[in-house]
Amino acid sequence: MLGLVKGLGVTLKNMTKPKVTYRYPDEPLLMPNRFRGIQHFDPEKCIVCNQCARICPTDCITLSGKKQPEKKGKVIDTYTINFETCILCDLCTEVCPTGAITMTNNYELAVYSRDELFKDLEWLNQNNTHIREEQSGNVAKRHGGKQ
Amino acid sequence: MNSWLLIGPVLLLLVVLLFVVYAIFFERKVIGWAQNRIGPNRVGYWGLLQTVADVLKLLFKEDVIPNKSDELLFRIAPIIAFVPSFAVLAVIPFSDSIRFSDFAIGLLYYMALSSITIIGILIGGWSSNNKYSLMGGMRSAAQMISYEIPLVMSVVGIVLSVGSLNLTEIVEAQKDVWFIVPQFVGFVVFLIAAISELNRCPFDLPEAESELVAGYHVEYSGFRFAFFMLTEYVYMFAMAALTTVLYLGGWNAPFGLTFIPPIIWFVLKFLLIVFFLFWLRATMPRLRADQLMQFSWKVLLPIALLNILLTCVLKEVPVIGAYF
Repeated sequence: MLGLVKGLGVTLKNMTKPKVTYRYPDEPLLMPNRFRGIQHFDPEKCIVCNQCARICPTDCITLSGKKQPEKKGKVIDTYTINFETCILCDLCTEVCPTGAITMTNNYELAVYSRDELFKDLEWLNQNNTHIREEQSGNVAKRHGGKQ
Repeated sequence: MNSWLLIGPVLLLLVVLLFVVYAIFFERKVIGWAQNRIGPNRVGYWGLLQTVADVLKLLFKEDVIPNKSDELLFRIAPIIAFVPSFAVLAVIPFSDSIRFSDFAIGLLYYMALSSITIIGILIGGWSSNNKYSLMGGMRSAAQMISYEIPLVMSVVGIVLSVGSLNLTEIVEAQKDVWFIVPQFVGFVVFLIAAISELNRCPFDLPEAESELVAGYHVEYSGFRFAFFMLTEYVYMFAMAALTTVLYLGGWNAPFGLTFIPPIIWFVLKFLLIVFFLFWLRATMPRLRADQLMQFSWKVLLPIALLNILLTCVLKEVPVIGAYF
């Protein structure tokens, strides 16, 4: 019998407690720093080594480079991630030797047409907010560990 | 006088509809608050138009009548359920001047009419030709009939001490002491039985979403579903008003605060009961089906009978007898 009153007390007390909900669509929800969100791509750093495209488990990265006239190597020409199949597994950013592709904390990918899910170089380059911070430090550390 | 006969009920219907709209809204708000949520807040300022939007949606929906259902019964079931729920409001005295009809057996009228709704629910469950709705309807009928008995029995205590079934006289008898004090046992039994009559949590077995999908109104959609929903909330209005009249002194002001108009006092007490119902729903889990009947017949009914006996005995005791 006393349990009933106790239960009523609990709910009454809960009514005045601060709400735990977020105003999500109105206010953006910030993800923690290690969140695996939509990639940011920096064409300046890319050396067209193709490692990201090869390690990608769903083959969603397509890239092409073009010959540089005076120097050795290539520069990136097109870079596309197909977010229909991308599983945001973080492997492309881990394998990238220069940190040209990095994870951000952005996650809003909903679109009305599937075609819009092919994100090209320009779009990925402009996706430059909330870039994951630990990336640069980790690149150096990982290389050190391997050797 | 004659024009009031027409305008009065229409006004009451509007008030009741407004109450239903905002009762549903505040129910969702209160349950939200109890769960540390905000509740509906998207439609209109502070979400105030949420229920209006919901009702509009129901009105625009297609009126589906299942192929293998009993069409005539399916059509009239919501009407049979709704009409008594509004008709019982006729005897409720809202204040010393606002009332619709005032006859000698008001309480009996309420109890008798409110049990007609069970038939509507049963017909709705049966005519849908669906096992969930049939089970919901059966459960509902069994539950509402068994809880009607302790409900009536708990009120007998009041009838004994007032010596009348007229609701106005019952309120007049509470000028000094509200019946919640001398009839506390009766009040508890009445409240529990009333919640069960309303099919509300923790006695919402007839519409247990998790076991029966939705109970007797599974097959109903659109306007007819809205009518069943409306019935439930009009009954909540009626039952909260009846509880106020029977146990909380109706429009009588407590502590001699008579400068506040009687209707305000009535509304305040009424809203307290309504809030209690929401609060209870936010708190309690559902009763098990096999415990439900036992609780009614083996616990509530004996306590209600004991309350009658106690009232009879205490009425004869010199000093305390004045309160009974």
